[in-house]
Amino acid sequence: MLPAHYYLMLSAVLFTTGTLGVLIRRNPIIMFMSIELMLNAANLAFITFSRYQRSLDGHIFVFIIMTVAAAEVAVGLGIIISIFRTRTDINIDDLNIMKG
Amino acid sequence: MIAELVIFIILGTVAVATGVAVILSKNPVHAVLFLVINFFSVAMFYLVLSAQFVAFLQILVYAGAIMVLFLFVVMLLNLTGAIESVQDKLPAQKWVGLALGIALLLEAGVVTAAGVFRQVPAAPPPSPNFGTSAPVGVKLFFDYLLPFEVTSVLLLIAIVGSIVLARRRTY
Amino acid sequence: MLVQYLPFLVLFIVAVAFAGGAMVLSRLLGPKRPSATKLEPYESGMVPIGGTRGRFPIRFYLVALLFILFDIEIIFLYPWAVIFLEAGAARVFLFFEILVFLGVITVGYVYIWRKGALDWE
Repeated sequence: MLPAHYYLMLSAVLFTTGTLGVLIRRNPIIMFMSIELMLNAANLAFITFSRYQRSLDGHIFVFIIMTVAAAEVAVGLGIIISIFRTRTDINIDDLNIMKG
Repeated sequence: MIAELVIFIILGTVAVATGVAVILSKNPVHAVLFLVINFFSVAMFYLVLSAQFVAFLQILVYAGAIMVLFLFVVMLLNLTGAIESVQDKLPAQKWVGLALGIALLLEAGVVTAAGVFRQVPAAPPPSPNFGTSAPVGVKLFFDYLLPFEVTSVLLLIAIVGSIVLARRRTY
Repeated sequence: MLVQYLPFLVLFIVAVAFAGGAMVLSRLLGPKRPSATKLEPYESGMVPIGGTRGRFPIRFYLVALLFILFDIEIIFLYPWAVIFLEAGAARVFLFFEILVFLGVITVGYVYIWRKGALDWE
């Protein structure tokens, strides 16, 4: 059994990758995928702790997170589609219609 | 120990490489496919960590269903060309974001190196059915009764919300 | 523990090796005499019109989206079905528990039905 911090460090690297994706990219689809990457990194940390504590609570958390991710994807992609259905350009910085 | 280290290095390389490829690829279709590989390698990690049921959920839900929806949206919006506009409105954002991301990674590295996570005890091997569907189900349906029921409300909201958003405008 | 997943690994390796080997071998051994007719998507008949990356209707998206949400619902039923038979006296509790869960989702199902999201036209 490897020490727990191997998996936790990997989870941190994946989470940072996702964060970078959200910060750097301006394509909403790829930003969304980066959020999924971050959720997955968090799930990996949950599963790691679950394994090292020999408790199943982390598995339930991952279960619920997956449900939340599915709901989030369904609604979020719906929003992206309804915004960009009439546009050709999809840079997220152009979404300033609601700016006062 | 050695076998697990080898598995960890191989899978970890795949996971990090595909993760980086997701955020760097110009073509969203490629990003989706890289993300599928990433989810698969994370599912393999779940297997190594004896979370068998969750590993297969990961493949079913993430790699199977969610990524298909992503692919649909990429195709639907025809996003495969050059999308990100030539004139960047906030050009500094990229570099600030990069710096902050590296700072986050350094922070995680320092926390790990400081040995906080070393206090997590090395667990003895769990019982053979640890993480299979039956114990997870018992945990979910008895201990986590309220979150489970609230999940159904969440799904209901997602169903209604997505229909409202996807419906053709009638005004 | 992981040893019981060894058949999956073997199957995976065989599948990748077979698919990759077939592609590599056909590229190495097969004769290549391309002509304009052969390179068309359909070698006989239809001349293709437009690109392959055209937008397609939003209905497909709606179906995929509803599939995901009900997929999640089904996934909650798997562990329930596994533990239900061995539950003993807790069976009644489990039964009404899943009934509430399915009942809430059915409200959403009725909603999409009434909104006509399931109609193709």
